[in-house]
Amino acid sequence: MEPLFEFAIKDEKVYSGALSCRGCGWSLLVRHLSSILGEDTVYVVPASCFSIIAGPFPLNELKGSIVHTVFAAAPATATGVRAALDRKGKKDATVAVLAGDGGTFDIGFQSMSGAASRGENILYVVNNNGAYMNTGIQTSTATPYGAVTTTNPGEGYKKTWPKDLMGIIAAHNIPYAATISLAHMGDAREKMKRAKETEGFRLLMIDGPCPPGHKTDPSQSISIGRLAVETKLYPLFEVEHQKYKINYFPEKFVPIDECLKPQGRFKHIFKEGNEQLIKDIQEHTDANWKRLLALEKISYEE
Amino acid sequence: MTNGTITEEKNIANNSGKTVYPRHTEKIMKGNFAAAEAAKLCRSGFIPAYPITPQTTIVEELSAKVARGEMDAAYVNMDSEHSVFAAAMGAALAGERVFTATSGQGLFYAHEVLHAIAHFRLPIVICNVGRPSIPWNIWSDQSDSISQRDTGWVQIYGESSQEVLDSVIQSFIIAEELDLPVMVVLDAFYQSHTSENIWIPEQQLVDEFLPAKKSKGDEIDLESPKSIGGLVPPEHYEKFNYTYWQNINQVEELTNKVGKDFGKHFGREYKAVESFNINKNTKLVLVTMSSITTTARGVIKNHPDVGLLKLRLFKPFPKQSVLEALKELPDDAIIAPIERNFLGDNYGATIQELMRAFYNERNFKMYDFYTGLGGKDVPPLTIEKIIYKAKNNPKDVNWIDLEY
Repeated sequence: MEPLFEFAIKDEKVYSGALSCRGCGWSLLVRHLSSILGEDTVYVVPASCFSIIAGPFPLNELKGSIVHTVFAAAPATATGVRAALDRKGKKDATVAVLAGDGGTFDIGFQSMSGAASRGENILYVVNNNGAYMNTGIQTSTATPYGAVTTTNPGEGYKKTWPKDLMGIIAAHNIPYAATISLAHMGDAREKMKRAKETEGFRLLMIDGPCPPGHKTDPSQSISIGRLAVETKLYPLFEVEHQKYKINYFPEKFVPIDECLKPQGRFKHIFKEGNEQLIKDIQEHTDANWKRLLALEKISYEE
Repeated sequence: MTNGTITEEKNIANNSGKTVYPRHTEKIMKGNFAAAEAAKLCRSGFIPAYPITPQTTIVEELSAKVARGEMDAAYVNMDSEHSVFAAAMGAALAGERVFTATSGQGLFYAHEVLHAIAHFRLPIVICNVGRPSIPWNIWSDQSDSISQRDTGWVQIYGESSQEVLDSVIQSFIIAEELDLPVMVVLDAFYQSHTSENIWIPEQQLVDEFLPAKKSKGDEIDLESPKSIGGLVPPEHYEKFNYTYWQNINQVEELTNKVGKDFGKHFGREYKAVESFNINKNTKLVLVTMSSITTTARGVIKNHPDVGLLKLRLFKPFPKQSVLEALKELPDDAIIAPIERNFLGDNYGATIQELMRAFYNERNFKMYDFYTGLGGKDVPPLTIEKIIYKAKNNPKDVNWIDLEY
């Protein structure tokens, strides 16, 4: 285990009474993020769980500005906000998109790619909980292989691998991209600070716990997140202009079963006769880790 | 277009009898360049752009103006029209004066965001170079803008490129006074790519008429953080619509007022609608929008009993102005709208709007005429055919080039 960093929130920027579910990753994420970004921040929010959590008209959960925008184009709206703030001389203010995986991997993908390619000075934060949770757990292209959703039910569980968003965004040659786990808050806060200080398009992807969607107990949100890192299902790494750096190396091998078993959405894969399925997911996970090691190695070769 | 008087200096008729506008420069210019020039003269501060034929030269010219340092604006090449309008929304929410331009599929693609801009009450002004959708076509047609008539945008159609330039300036006044977005529509190629003599006002003259955008206190403001656009519960939702309705009802009057003020200031006066030769002896009135008006204007000179009604403001439909223009027209007169739009419906958009305006007010005979779709030329002969057909056993709906 990594040593515990100082991660108590000293300057709370979130009001009480958030509308998130118990054990939701958004709340913890946004409390930490807003305490680091400060009040001179404009949050641009497409349709997502956070558009509910942030509060209905005329409420504002955050000490900061929020713009709720259309599902497919939060990075575009952020582009306009950024340009207008810059013209007012507010170059130091942060413009941050807070989106879910549906708004990022799917419907907002082109808009995000456009903003990244233009080098917009925007911080993009994606809370990846692996499905359209706000609308009731429908499959997105971030949904893990083997997971059950309301649109991939029962034996129709998802049989394709999730999109490699980090690889895709890294290929845009942006100055900073990193994965974040709420079980590694010290690492997460360092990355949030780094992302705030970097100029240009930055992306942080959070492994978002979702008890109703993952069919877990709210008390397990952090422990399952930790297992995702230990099993290498969700490695912690950062990419700076296509140079990869792994931030955490699990000390021992932990099979993926340990992370998937407590999640009801994977219940069926532990049925007798589905051993090959578990094996496939393990192999895919190992291959991803191996690829990550190789990317890190070539990133810093002379 | 009628020539009013300019407040300080009278318009001068030179030796050839041609009107000269003081504090203007006369240039030969294509409609798209006039649109770009208007955006510059209005000091637009943010221009998100995505190219589409036949709009391209507008955004090319704007990017050039910014690159040459002639224009103090942020110009951004976006990834789609959907993103263009979403970016426009972001900058307008933060108080910036925003201009962009699009056409056809681009406008269709932005449909969702058009609603959002209108109902966020953002005073964005755009030019749309009218072209249709499928089957693929890039030429003049009003199906794109007219099919957006329920998005809540104000729509103004320019007969000439001078009108387009002048209307963009007037549109920013209307937009910023009522917090409504305005779409100024010009014809593909007949205007966008056709050169005309255009009077370009001096920057100072425009600045006197259109001051810098004022803050209304509801913009994104770091000093006064707020949440904009959150979910609106049923008890509040209708109130937003009610205030929208109140403001949209002011557009017609304001368009006439701004058009008159514009006349005093620049020497060219505008109205929501214009009428020609409509009186108690008129037997037939053609109803037109955009450049077809010019052709019709020429043709009716040979027909003393035919009048012409030009719709400049189309949305919200200028009911009072239309009724006023037709006040002297006898009830047994015929109304013949010319439709350069096909909405997959039996009637074209113009006659639909006119029918609504006349209901409980006037009871004319009305016959609809489709022509000029997908850029087909509408020469004087076509107008002559419409006049003849309208007077001689017309059908309810007539495809003048196909069924004549």
